Amino acid sequence: MNRERNELRATLRQKFPRNRGQLLPALHYLQHEFGYLPDWAMEVVGWHLGIPSSEVYGAATSYTELRIQKPGEHVIRVCTGLSCWLNGGRQLIQKAHAEMGANGEAGDVTLEEVPCAYICGVAPAVEVDGVWRGRVGADDFSGIMREVSP
Amino acid sequence: MTDAISNALTSLRESAAERQSAHNGKTRVVVQVGHCSQAVGVADVADAVSAALPHDAYLVTAGCDGACFASPKISVTLPDGQFIEKWCMTADLAEKGFIYIGQADKSEAIQSDPSEFFNKQHRLTLAGCGEMDALGIGDYILNGGYGGLARALSMTPEEVIEDVQASGLRGRGGAYFPAALKWRGARAIENTPRYIVVNCEEGEPGIFPVRHLMEGAPHRLLEGTVIAAYASGVHEAYIYINAEAHLSTERMRIAVEQAYASGLLGDDILSSGFSLDVEILRGAGGYVCGDETTMLNTMEGQRREPRQRPPFPTEAGLWGKPTVINNGETLASVPYILANGCDAFAAIGTDDDKGTKLVSLSGAVRHAGLIEVPMGTTLREIIYDMGGGTPDGRDLTAIAVGGPSSGIFPLSMLDAAIRSGFIHESGVMLGAGGVIALDDSVSVVDMMRKLAAYNADESCGKCTPCREGTPRMVELVDGLIAGRASASDLNDLRQLAELVNAASLCGLGQAAGNPVLSALHFFGDELAMMVKEG
Repeated sequence: MNRERNELRATLRQKFPRNRGQLLPALHYLQHEFGYLPDWAMEVVGWHLGIPSSEVYGAATSYTELRIQKPGEHVIRVCTGLSCWLNGGRQLIQKAHAEMGANGEAGDVTLEEVPCAYICGVAPAVEVDGVWRGRVGADDFSGIMREVSP
Repeated sequence: MTDAISNALTSLRESAAERQSAHNGKTRVVVQVGHCSQAVGVADVADAVSAALPHDAYLVTAGCDGACFASPKISVTLPDGQFIEKWCMTADLAEKGFIYIGQADKSEAIQSDPSEFFNKQHRLTLAGCGEMDALGIGDYILNGGYGGLARALSMTPEEVIEDVQASGLRGRGGAYFPAALKWRGARAIENTPRYIVVNCEEGEPGIFPVRHLMEGAPHRLLEGTVIAAYASGVHEAYIYINAEAHLSTERMRIAVEQAYASGLLGDDILSSGFSLDVEILRGAGGYVCGDETTMLNTMEGQRREPRQRPPFPTEAGLWGKPTVINNGETLASVPYILANGCDAFAAIGTDDDKGTKLVSLSGAVRHAGLIEVPMGTTLREIIYDMGGGTPDGRDLTAIAVGGPSSGIFPLSMLDAAIRSGFIHESGVMLGAGGVIALDDSVSVVDMMRKLAAYNADESCGKCTPCREGTPRMVELVDGLIAGRASASDLNDLRQLAELVNAASLCGLGQAAGNPVLSALHFFGDELAMMVKEG
């Protein structure tokens, strides 16, 4: 763990000037590197930028796109926006919950609902491991579920 | 225009023309790559087109033209000028060499004639989106790009402010504050450095204009930014892009690099002596981040919470310095005003509202996508002319206008015209320009709950009326849905919505009651029928 901390410190020193304005860019970097924001890494960021851990945590948890818990191996996000809802998205969410229940999350899949993916013109939308897909029909969605939890 | 500036622009145009001349006599194949089309397989289409491309053709990557319903879309211009468009293209068709064959292949998914989608639009900020090379600066320059900047730089900053003020341009982010007044406000404060922040933090459900602009015409947004910076006396600009818009960020980064390399950013822009540096920042999600003071907090490494106003950002914004914050769509309108004159812009729209507005149209319509229409266009025109009406077998029942800070219209309001501020005093406004056509698969009370729940989720928790009031509204609506609500609950709901609107700190809270208030106004009888007897 100490080695990891030291390595992160060294990287932060190279990448981010030590001022508070760098907090969000540094948190983005953590999420990019680890897939989420581990507690110890947020501590190191706070140390590097001179911000108390409590404030780093406070800022980090206020953003919807930052994760403080390690996600599953696969992340599926279903848009629950109005246009998706109207064009079949509601059924996808029901289907997702039903299938996740059956799998008991054993396939290491994290299922999330997001309020909008901003691609309302190709609704309904589902994100699979960081890639958005549009015009997702019920069959397409079953296919996605099979891909991530065989 | 002074000789030096004019010469600098001419030399840019000449070198762009020279680069373009390498393609003379060749067939131009354009693939529209945007966030929407990526979601429906444009990457495979682009690969297949590229592989099937004959030696006498060249491939251009553009942004999307706004016709999301038709994406992935490609177009072909033959050397003789013949123009072929392909809608809903697939990699399979491209591999079979079908890119040249036949006219507008309108796929079975598109049930009606989509030509109205474009014919009735008035495209200023979207001009060239879907046609221009989104990865190069050449097409933009050859289409008159940076001409507005050249004209601005040969005027005094005060003249630029007066020009834009005379055009009547108001902020397109939803507040509709006159853009030029912000510039003048910041300029008047003798506290340097001043900053300009371009608000491309698009976090409002159902709304996607700035992303389209960044993907399809990044240099237009950049040109507007430089003009605004010059008028405001600013030498440092930040373009703040929301977390989800990866492609937009990529395109803007490329555009910024090209602008530096072409002498359109950095020191001595177009030999005018004016200098400006631009940096791109990323948000991390959340509706409230679009609030300008919240954005400043996130840039300073604070929680995403709004600040008390006054002081307004133009007096004390980023790091306490005068800061102009303009929406990306607003700034993308500025080059047109400078290039064509304020009268040309003011001639579009209505007496009270000048210019055009980008409208994100989706829901139960045939032609979902992004359109640009003059202010004063009616919802009927938007949904039936450009939107092509509802798909077969579905009936329009209501219209959600302006997103979760606004409200729901019944069909009797179809002839209402879009305008800045409230379209109806019950709480329906244009906001950032979302129009969602609803059908009978959702009820009004479901809609009201959905919008109210969104506002409750997104409340940052800083001020009590919003933090406590928004979840209580959802509870009351839930009671109504469950059949437990009494007539007095409905009255409480109205009062609570009015209170949250009146007492909250920022734009999110001050509009959080609108979905409830507009539903109570227009669908009061329907809701009253859900009240428990006795």
